[in-house]
Order: sequence, then C-alpha cells, then structure tokens
Amino acid sequence: MRRPLVPADYQPPLPLDQLILREPPGPEAIELDVLFVGGGPASLAGAIELARLVRRDKQEGSALGDIQIGVLEKGERLGDHCLSGAVVNPRAFRELFPELKDSDFPFGFPVRAEAVYFLSERGQVRLPTPPTMRNHGFYVASLCEIVRWLGEKAEQLGVNVFAGYPAGALLVDGQRVIGARSVPKGLDREGKPAGGYQPAADVTAKVTALGEGTRGLLTQAYFEWQRIPSQNPQIFALGVKELWETRQPLDRVIHTVGWPLPNDAFGGSFMYPLEPNVVALGLVVGLDSPDAGLDVHVLLQRMKLHPLFRQYLDGGELLEWGAKTIPEGGYYALPARRHGDGVVILGDAAGFVNVPALKGIHYAMQSGMFAARAIFRALKRGDTSAASLAEYDRMVDASFIRDDLYRTRNMRLAFKDGFYAGGIKAGLMTLTGGRFPGGRIAMLADAKAARTRAVPAPFTPDGTLTFSKVDAVFRSGNATRDTIPSHLVPGRDVPQDGAELYAHMCPAGVYEWVNGSLRINAPNCVDCKATDILGPRWTPREGGSGPRYRRM
Amino acid sequence: MAGVLAILEQRDGVLKKVSYEVVTAARSLADRLGTGVDAIAIGPMALDATSATTFGAEEVVILADDRLTLYQPHLYLRAVVERAKAKDYGAILLSATALGKDLGPRLAARLGCPLAADVAEIEVNDGIVVSRPVYAGKAVCRAKVTAPCCVISLRPNSVTPVEQPRTATLHHAVLGLDSDRPVARTAAMKAPAEAKLDVAEAPIVVSGGRGLKEPGNFTLLEELAHALGAAAVGASRAAVDAGWRPHGDQVGQTGKTVSPGLYFAIGISGAIQHLAGMRTAKVIVAINKDKDAPIFKVADYGIVGDLFEIVPRLTQEIKKLKAGA
Amino acid sequence: MKIAVCIKRVPDTETRIKIAADGRSIDESGIKFVLNPYDEYAVEEALRRKEAAGSGEVVVIALGSDVVQETIRTALAMGVDRGVLLKTDQRVADPLVTARALVAELQTGGYDLILFGKLAIDDYHHAVGPMVAEFLGLPCVSAVVRLELGDGKGTAEREVEGGVEVVEFPLPAVLTADKGLNEPRYPALKGIMAAKKKPLEVKPVTLEPGGLEVLQLALPPERKPGRIVGEGPDAVPALIEALRAEAKVL
Repeated sequence: MRRPLVPADYQPPLPLDQLILREPPGPEAIELDVLFVGGGPASLAGAIELARLVRRDKQEGSALGDIQIGVLEKGERLGDHCLSGAVVNPRAFRELFPELKDSDFPFGFPVRAEAVYFLSERGQVRLPTPPTMRNHGFYVASLCEIVRWLGEKAEQLGVNVFAGYPAGALLVDGQRVIGARSVPKGLDREGKPAGGYQPAADVTAKVTALGEGTRGLLTQAYFEWQRIPSQNPQIFALGVKELWETRQPLDRVIHTVGWPLPNDAFGGSFMYPLEPNVVALGLVVGLDSPDAGLDVHVLLQRMKLHPLFRQYLDGGELLEWGAKTIPEGGYYALPARRHGDGVVILGDAAGFVNVPALKGIHYAMQSGMFAARAIFRALKRGDTSAASLAEYDRMVDASFIRDDLYRTRNMRLAFKDGFYAGGIKAGLMTLTGGRFPGGRIAMLADAKAARTRAVPAPFTPDGTLTFSKVDAVFRSGNATRDTIPSHLVPGRDVPQDGAELYAHMCPAGVYEWVNGSLRINAPNCVDCKATDILGPRWTPREGGSGPRYRRM
Repeated sequence: MAGVLAILEQRDGVLKKVSYEVVTAARSLADRLGTGVDAIAIGPMALDATSATTFGAEEVVILADDRLTLYQPHLYLRAVVERAKAKDYGAILLSATALGKDLGPRLAARLGCPLAADVAEIEVNDGIVVSRPVYAGKAVCRAKVTAPCCVISLRPNSVTPVEQPRTATLHHAVLGLDSDRPVARTAAMKAPAEAKLDVAEAPIVVSGGRGLKEPGNFTLLEELAHALGAAAVGASRAAVDAGWRPHGDQVGQTGKTVSPGLYFAIGISGAIQHLAGMRTAKVIVAINKDKDAPIFKVADYGIVGDLFEIVPRLTQEIKKLKAGA
Repeated sequence: MKIAVCIKRVPDTETRIKIAADGRSIDESGIKFVLNPYDEYAVEEALRRKEAAGSGEVVVIALGSDVVQETIRTALAMGVDRGVLLKTDQRVADPLVTARALVAELQTGGYDLILFGKLAIDDYHHAVGPMVAEFLGLPCVSAVVRLELGDGKGTAEREVEGGVEVVEFPLPAVLTADKGLNEPRYPALKGIMAAKKKPLEVKPVTLEPGGLEVLQLALPPERKPGRIVGEGPDAVPALIEALRAEAKVL
C-alpha cells in the first residue's frame, strides 16, 4: 500500500526572478501604447474595441495621437493554440459588432435541440436539461475560427498582431508593469544560439493586458509578486477534445455525466455539431481527482466506444485532436483585483469561466471590451495607474460576468464530495438560484489534493476509433522542432509514483518513467497546462512550437 | 507531323539509365501521335549513344566534344535549340534530373514552348496531356498542352525502359565556337559532401528498431542505405531510447512525419508511435521475423524472416541492380 | 549591391490538401500561406550580400492577387528594403507566363543579382528562375547550395546526382537557391513593425493564357493493401522486382 501522493511536493516554485524583470528595456525594444499578451478572444475583442474607440476619438478631433496596439501570440498563427468545446453565447459579438448580424459571425451550427444523459458503460438515461445548461439561441463554434476572424478585424483596424512571439517575462519598473519580453528563437538542445537565432525582444507599453488564457504564466507571476489573494485557490479541469468528420449527421448539442468517469471525479462529456457532419466531442475532468491513475485521454478513447457516440463516429474520420485545461474555481477563485499599475488581467487568465454553463468565450470577450474602455479612458487622462485602471474591475463587477459567476459560485465546488453528493447539492443550488447551500465551499489547490496510486486497466487503441497519445499528438498538428530545448521544469528527485502520475495526467505523452527516472518528451507538449498545475512547470518555448489547431 | 525529340543524358561517355526511360517515353508518345522519335546525345568525345536505337529512336544526333564533358548550360542549350529549329518537334523530352531541371526551363524559354516538369504520365487525348505530382506529392495535376510544342521533363523511375529496336541513322554534329557572351561555366565536379542526409528529408529512409539487438548492428542498415544512395538511416524510438542512435535519427515521436518515397522498417514491430511518423511514406517495406507484427498491416511489401540474413542479401541485390544501371 | 528576389506565396508544407469544388485547384479555406521556403534562402542570401557589401538595396517582387502583400511584408520584416506586387487575379499554370511577367519588371532594374528559390512547393515546376535568366540573357546557376561572390563574378556549387558541380559565372547573374545555402533569419519584432512603413508598390498586370491548361487536380489513389512477398533471404529478388516494376521506386 503506497503513501498518497501530493503532487505539490514535487513541484518547483514559480521562478519569479525570471518572470518579473526589473530591468530597463533593451535598445531594440519596440514601443507600443497598449500590449495584449495572448492572441485569444479576450485580447482580440479588447484590441478591436480599443482601436475603435481611438479611431472614433480621432475623428472627433482629439489630441490622443496615434495609438499603437499590439498583440503577442505564441502560436505560429492566431488560433493555433485555441481550443474550446464550444457553444457560444453571441452577446459579446453583438455588442462588439452592432453593425453585423449573427449570420456574419464565425459561428457554426445554431443550437436548436439539446440533451443531457447519464451514462453507464453500455447504456444511457436521459436527464432533464439543467437550467444552467440551456443553449437554445446559442451557436456551436470553433474557437480557432472565431479567433482568426477577430484577428482579421483587428488587423484591419491597424492592430499589430505578432504571431510566433510568446511573452516570457513581464518588464516592471517599481510596482508598475511596463511591458513584456519575448522568448528567443533558434536555440539548440543545450539552450545555445544555433541557426536562425533571434534573441528575445522587449515590447514596452503604457498598459499591458494579460489575456494568456488558462493558467497564464505571467498572470500567475503577477498575482504572486503583488500578493493578490483570492478566496479559494484556482482549480482546473483537463479537457481532451477531438474533431470528427462523421457519416451520420448530428443535429443537437449533447452533454453527458457519469461513465466513464469514476464517482470521485468531477466532469462530463460534450458532443457538438460544428456542422451536421463535423462533430466536436470531448471529455472534461477535474484535476483534483484522488485517482493517481486518471488518464483523461484514455477515458475519452473508451468513451467513444459507447453506443451514444459510436453511432456517429463509426465510419467517420478523426480530423483533429487537442487538449486544454479550464479554470473551474469560479467566483471564489477570482483574484481580489484584476488590475494594477499599467496592467489588467482578462478572460480565462482571470478565471472568468462559468463551469455549470460551460461558458467562457463570451466572458473573455466582454472582459476584453471592458478593459478596452477602461484603458481608453486611462490613456485620455494620461494616467495608467492602478487607481485609474480600477475602472475595469468596477465594470466587470457590475456586469453579467460577476452575476453569472456568483449565481453558480458553489456548483462545481460541491462536487468535491463526489458525484452523487455533489449532484444533489448542485441540484439544490440550481433550484434556489445559488442561495442554498450558500456559504463558500473551501477548496484545495489541485496540486495539494492527495491521490493514491491506482493501477489503471490497460488500454489498446484500435487505430480507427481510438488512438494512442502519440497518434493523437500527430493530429494536433504539433510540429515542434525536435532539437528545441526542453521547456518543462520538473522538481528534483521525482519518484516513480510522481512520474507515473504525470504520465497519466499528460494527454500528449510527454512524461514516462523509464529506467528508473523521469523521461520528458518535451516536443510532444500541446500547452494544455495540466503539467503546470500538477507536475513540472511549464515555460514558453520558441514561438510557433506546440499544436496547430485548425477548427478546434 | 511534328516529331518527338528525346534528350539523352550521359556520364563518362555512357548513357545513363534515365536516357532509356526518356527514349521509351518518347517512343510511346510518338507512336500515339503517329510520328517519329529523334534523340540527341551531348557529351565528351568518348560518348557512345548507339544504344538509344535499341529503345526506339530513329535518328540519333551525337554531339561529342570534350568541352561538353561537364554540363555547360549554354552549349547544351545551343545544341538542342539548333536541332529543334532545324526540325519541327511537337514535344521535347528529357529526364528531370539535376541537369534536366536546369536545361528544360531554359529550352522552354528559348523556344517559347510551355514546360511540363517532373511528369509521371503522358497521355494523348486530343493533344498532349501530362500528369505531374504537385504539393510535395500530395496531389496530382493533369494538364493539357495548348501550344503546338512543349518541353516535358520526365520523373526518373516513372517509366520502365522497353527495348524496341529501330533501324536508325546516327550522325555526328560538331560543336561550334564557344560563346563570348557572359555565361556560367561548370569548372569542375567534386565528390559529394559527406553530410548526413536528414531523415526528414531523405528520399529513402532505412529505419531500424529493437530487432537489431545491438547498436553495432546498425552498420547493416548503413550499408543498405549506402547501396541505395540518397538514403538516410532512421531509428524507432525504442532504439533511440536504448541509446543506440541519436535523437535526430528518430522517426515518429513528436508527430513530425517523414515522408520519403521509400521507407524500410527493419526489425520494427510497428508500435503506433513509429507508424504515426512514417505512415505517409510513398512505399513502405517491412522486414520482421514476426509475421503478425503490426508493421505488416501498414507496409506495401514485406518479408518475414531473420533480418540478419535478409538485409545483407538485400544490400547485395541492390548493388547488383545499381551496377547494371 | 542591387539585388532582386522573386518570391511566391504558397500553402504551408504541413497542409492537408483538399480539392476545391472546381476539381482543378485546392480548397484554400483554413490553409496557412507562407513565403515559399526556398525563397527564404534567396531572401536571406540577398540580405547577407547587401550587408557584406555595406550598401545597396534588396527588392522583392511577387506575382499574384492582393493577399500576396502579406507575403511581401514578411520579406520586408526580414530586412528587405522594398517590395513590388505584380497584381493579377489569374491563376498561372504555365511557368513561362510567370517568367515573362517578372522579366517585364526586372529588365529595367539594373540588378547585380537576381535570386529565386529553386522551386515553389505548390507547383514544383523548378523553372521560373532559369526561364527568367534566358529571357534577360543573363548567366544562371540553379539549385545553389554554396555561393562565393567576388568582384564582378562568383562561384556557386550545386548538387547533382553523384557529385557537386562547381560553376563560375560573371555578374550580373540569376541564381536559384537550394536548401543548405544558408540559415534564414526569423523576422525580429522590430522588423515586423518597420515592415509596415516600407514601400510596397502594387502594379496591375495582364497575363497571357500560357501553353498549359489545368484539367484536373486530384488526390493520389488510395494506398492498396500490402502483401508479404515471401520468407527469408530468398524472397529478396521478388521484393526488388516489385519495388522496381510495380512500385517504381528503384
């Protein structure tokens, strides 16, 4: 009987001295007015809104001058690292583009019908659709397509999109954020400059908006540096998703709970028609599971063999595969402030995700728009201090973002006691609009949750419906340079238990226990961030590394 | 009826195998067009091009001059252009070798004819229609020639030479004075650089796995690769993990594909992590002692048996084949 | 040194090909377009030669529709001084047509060096560079892997079957670049910003139809199930025969 494993015991600390740089920008630094870190929906909606405000202001004859807006994106192209279910609430699009109709937006199938099932290994029971999950009037969409579409709009407005440039550190002056430094390109395995070498570049800005997405590195660093607390630590789920071309058309949005998840894990699956014959499906599981053998990728593969899914997938073709974590802490995990001197934090990086509704994209965009308005007024005032940018937090707190998260504040957290107990509690919360049981349910950070080593049942993929991790990584479009230095930082002396936990946790097969030590196949990494949450630290690597999602 | 001209390539005065491919293709095209085949051979004094007639050429022009030992673009071009202007040709064929890829376009520009490069198949369908690989071989393009003449460079190895002797006339042409225009001149030929071919780029990859039992046994694969020419030696993850081969030789780990024209999987079971990396190879050959090894499901051709006996035999037979060419 | 580099916008190598509804072209939706990788070697070489000479100008010229401006900007971001787009919406099937259009632009330029990538990874013609050289009456070396330039002349190496040709040529000349010539630089952030301000001239051109007409673009036939040729070393001759005659890879 082995001792329970606490992943936090083997995690190195956040290297603040490498992430928060108290040095003046280099001589080759480019100067912007506003920098958005991360090319996702929050940053792009923010950049678009800001560019529009500036343009209108200019037309009205203001003295603001030429405002340079930039977006730093680590993927080779916008959208390459974006992944979501997704069923999108169009309200943020409608607000950002009042002159356009829903049919102009980059959406797929409109949701007309939906179903929720409780699965057992061979059967299913239809459940009434919980009110938090009603999606009628919303659209199935690909986040990649959304982001590329937003990106075009942003570039048309003169926003500088720098794709292939990860931000590796924040540049600060005193307590103020003055910009970011990117990551060098063209290093060899030992980290030395090789062919095509390009040193890290500095970008300075009056305001830096962090839209890094789930488990953003600079965001973590900022909160730790500034000692900004949250009532609960942020917790995460890992989602593994596949996109299939199917022979059978799908005409409704489907969610399931129950099998193949064990009772002590929180999560469920989704299956959405992006088009009737292009189906997105995936499994989302909380990373606080007490089962050290939890392997979300394998569970998804098993799940596809269930008749509910198989009826669509048989005879079809796997188009893409990917993975991403989702912040699930909700209201109580929101940082006490999401702004500072010269900085604001947007979207998933701030934790604006409504778990019971499985929504985050419209909150991300809305937060970007609020940030843009606050930043615009700050620029006009010539004051980009925390006091001035606090307007951003006030706008978020007065909006549906706060209201929705507050109403569902304990629903996910209730599940820490297991599916059935959690289900009952969540049901009560829904009925009472979140009032009962109301008090904050305390949570542990995922890495602090102990887990016991289980011996998972062996799984052999068939190569037609089910796939190994290596085959799957191939389908993520991952073409990371093989000779790139490893970007993952393990703790010292990771024991076998720890390595095996990592091996199961990682959907991309990065970790293995081989010949008595932890082996790290870093180029496999698809930047889902599960590793940063439970295992070795994630750091950004040469721009363009990682997956190349097309319609995820 | 405008004829077909075949441009022959030589090395050290002997016609290369690709020349017979070109004559065969020219003969086949000419037969369908109802016309004849001329061939032109350019090379050093020792050049012997009589064998072209065995493959169907009716008239062979030989331009033999030691100034033509190495490929001199302007002189080779002038020779062919003079011939093309002297007689009407509907199509001029050459092999898409390094020389052909250089001479073909120049010829097309000079004659004002379209160029179809690296063609795998030539049809006659109300005119000449060519098929050629595009997008790195991921698609095939069929295009029709809409001009009265065309230059076609033929993909090496896409045509099997067929002996169909004709009574032919051979005549020798004379190389005139060299040009005093500013031109590029080939000064010398060097031995190829010893640089190792990268597995991701080599046209042929010979990969070994755990079945090789020891790192030293990879020399068997190196010999095979050497015999094949332009081949790189790859390794399965198992072999790299065991420390037998460097990481750079690894096939199929991070999802990067190697996509050679020919892939040998030797002593590799075909664990999926390897398959993911080489599945798009054009032709896959597997050699394994286990007839149920998954690799045989993906391979186009396979031999079941002991690789330590099979690989040396394969190397031997390949050497014989290459020597015969 | 005044150097021109002719570049092309092509689909990325990793692209999965889907045939468009017209059956003659690829479905471009969702495809990432890049600067032709072989052209990157040409652009990099041009920049290095200009830097070595201490002064001069590097110009890129591309043929295509408006979207090609994005590709020209990539080259500008690498350090090229200015760009010219010969604008046409026509799809070109015949490399002679491309060559003639480029020649019209190049002939008045007074360039010391005109560089190309040896081939474009969509069409694989491997032709436009030498064609342009013939039209301009300039010396040309194709598929260059090594280059030395001196006073008014140069020496290039190119890989051929079984060896390396060493070619001497006078300037001005046309060269087409092959992999291995150099290691292209990544554009710096500063370069990307600066590229927006560099001159990019758009010149509409009309092209002749050319002598090739695309009838069909198709995916290669499905892989047929394989077969075990035999057992043991005695099966080798049968394997070789199959590879030679059937698969045509030997």
